[in-house]
Amino acid sequence: MTDTVLLPGQSWQQLLTRRSFIELDALGRASALLDPGSVRALAGPFDRLESPWLAPQGITPQADDGTTIVRGTVDGHPVVIAAIEQGFQGGGTGEVSGAKISQALLLAAADSRAGTPTAAVILFETGGVRLQEANLGLNAVAEICSAILDLRPMAPVIGIVAGTVGSFGGMSIAAGLCTRLIVTPQARIGLNGPAVIEQEGGVAEFDSSDHALIWAIDGGEQRSATGLADDLVPDDADLLRAALIDAVNAGVAEAGQHRSQRLDVLASRLATLNPSDPPSPDDLRRLWGPRYTPVPASGTAATADATTVGYPETRGRSWLRALVGDTTIERVIPSVLRATTQTASYLAVVPDPANRFYRAREGQVGLTESLALAQTVHDLIDADDGKAVKRAIVAVVDLPSQAYGRNEEMGGLHQAMAAAVDAYHRARNAGHPIVAFVVGTALSGGFLTHGLQANQILALDDPHVEIHAMHAAAAARITLRTVDELNELAKTILPMSYRVEDWAKLGFCDGLLSVENADSPTRADVEKATSAIADAIERARRGPLDLSNRLDSEAAVTTRHASRAVRELLARQWNPE
Amino acid sequence: MQTLNYQFPATRGVPRPVHIGCVASGDLEILAQPAADGDPSDNVVVRVRTSVNGFDTVWHDVLERFFTRMPLAGTWELNDFGATPGVVTLRLRQAAEAASEATS
Repeated sequence: MTDTVLLPGQSWQQLLTRRSFIELDALGRASALLDPGSVRALAGPFDRLESPWLAPQGITPQADDGTTIVRGTVDGHPVVIAAIEQGFQGGGTGEVSGAKISQALLLAAADSRAGTPTAAVILFETGGVRLQEANLGLNAVAEICSAILDLRPMAPVIGIVAGTVGSFGGMSIAAGLCTRLIVTPQARIGLNGPAVIEQEGGVAEFDSSDHALIWAIDGGEQRSATGLADDLVPDDADLLRAALIDAVNAGVAEAGQHRSQRLDVLASRLATLNPSDPPSPDDLRRLWGPRYTPVPASGTAATADATTVGYPETRGRSWLRALVGDTTIERVIPSVLRATTQTASYLAVVPDPANRFYRAREGQVGLTESLALAQTVHDLIDADDGKAVKRAIVAVVDLPSQAYGRNEEMGGLHQAMAAAVDAYHRARNAGHPIVAFVVGTALSGGFLTHGLQANQILALDDPHVEIHAMHAAAAARITLRTVDELNELAKTILPMSYRVEDWAKLGFCDGLLSVENADSPTRADVEKATSAIADAIERARRGPLDLSNRLDSEAAVTTRHASRAVRELLARQWNPE
Repeated sequence: MQTLNYQFPATRGVPRPVHIGCVASGDLEILAQPAADGDPSDNVVVRVRTSVNGFDTVWHDVLERFFTRMPLAGTWELNDFGATPGVVTLRLRQAAEAASEATS
């Protein structure tokens, strides 16, 4: 925790008499932000939309799954607030809580489209995907990101991170997509939490017991001083409401001016970040400044490592080469490959042993990978501008995860990933069929960034294909279980399973391919995959532009009945009877 | 997790649904509702789902003491995440208070 300090313009008297926002529960927070008398809670505890996955694991569920949806007005404007209760499961995004948020955003978008602009406010207090509902939580985050991007051009989506949990995991990508982000000094925003980084990278990478370090990197003041948040407001319900009123009245951001669209800023900032001689958090404030505008190149700027390195042969690389045949594979950067055939552009994130960001050398999606993906996808969209038939984009997915590192967090990995998610969403909505083809591991934030915004998802039916929110050893430590216990639970709890055939039953698999050799595809394997990808592209061209097929598929009707119940109930309660 | 079911005699009903608390560490949420049509109105039906197994007797005693003082008929659901008996009693009293506020 940070020491309580006065913010500029705040007196001790104000600090002492303030009404704390952090001390309120989710409904209390939402009510404190809305115009008095306008509060109407939807899908509340008595509707009993609890998680169907927790009780079978011996975890007490909460009647509203820890997320409160409230409609009302802010300064007279229609607003819907999705407030995450930080006390329940650390605010983790599960199937039900995630569906509540995405549906609230979709309904606000429908109202906005029909002529009543309805702003959305998300109170982010979350450790990220709820690991007990792993793959359903991960997909819920992808759906939330997509829904924010659907609404954002029509009505503002405002994120508030007050603390004390803060915003972590994939939901921070969602925070990075918001029109405006309001934080307190107690807030933290990061992709990977300190404990996870320490677990994955060692205590030298990030000492998670060093609270001063945590807030110096992830803290609300730092995020605001480096332009990754817009308003820094003390923990005071009235001042937060005032900031929200200001944000709602400001309306939508100008097209192209959202943080997740400013690739010029991201590129200029990353050019000044040298992981082998990183700036201190204080230096970073001076280097980057509080406004999200391009920064001048600095003397310490890292240069690409020109030494010839041996690139390891991985499934991602083999399949990319096999699928594109004689087509030249170009390096957007050494870890992001692109090849454009007659029918589609193929993109893959691959290991680069010389990556200057040393935590992203094994094929993880890090800062520069996110930027390269975003730039490439935007280039593809721009190249097809005005064409009747848009080129398909195939994301070849074989990635161990996102990059777990201190430099990554300091540089705002969540914001870089938001840029890639934004780009894929833009491509999908512009009519580019997007097909994700999972040939190896597809974990967590890496998959959210490169794959989960696709219209169609295909995967190899192979024991080494693993799609999950976190690898088994880490998930076991965090949920206080042994790996054996985790595997035992995964046999009955479908979204927790590491087996791809179980993942395929969740409702968002559009094809599972058995091949002869998943490591080094045979000619027959390539033919099979090529034809499956062509079919998926055709289905994507005919299908919806949004992600609704993940809820309407045959498998989803059985497995995601809780998500469907949430969608149905919120739609029914949206307008007062 | 353990699910425990209890019944106690009651004299007056919970006037309207009341929700208190949160399934947070050391805390619990309570959902109290009037008896449904056709259900007996002279007893209280309590279902406890608790993350801590083996405290059946403690739960029984805490609940019995509370409902002897506050014989509020209806359906009570307690979702517990390791609350101490003191916290449980506090939350039960808050629920009873919120319910009586609704009548006054």
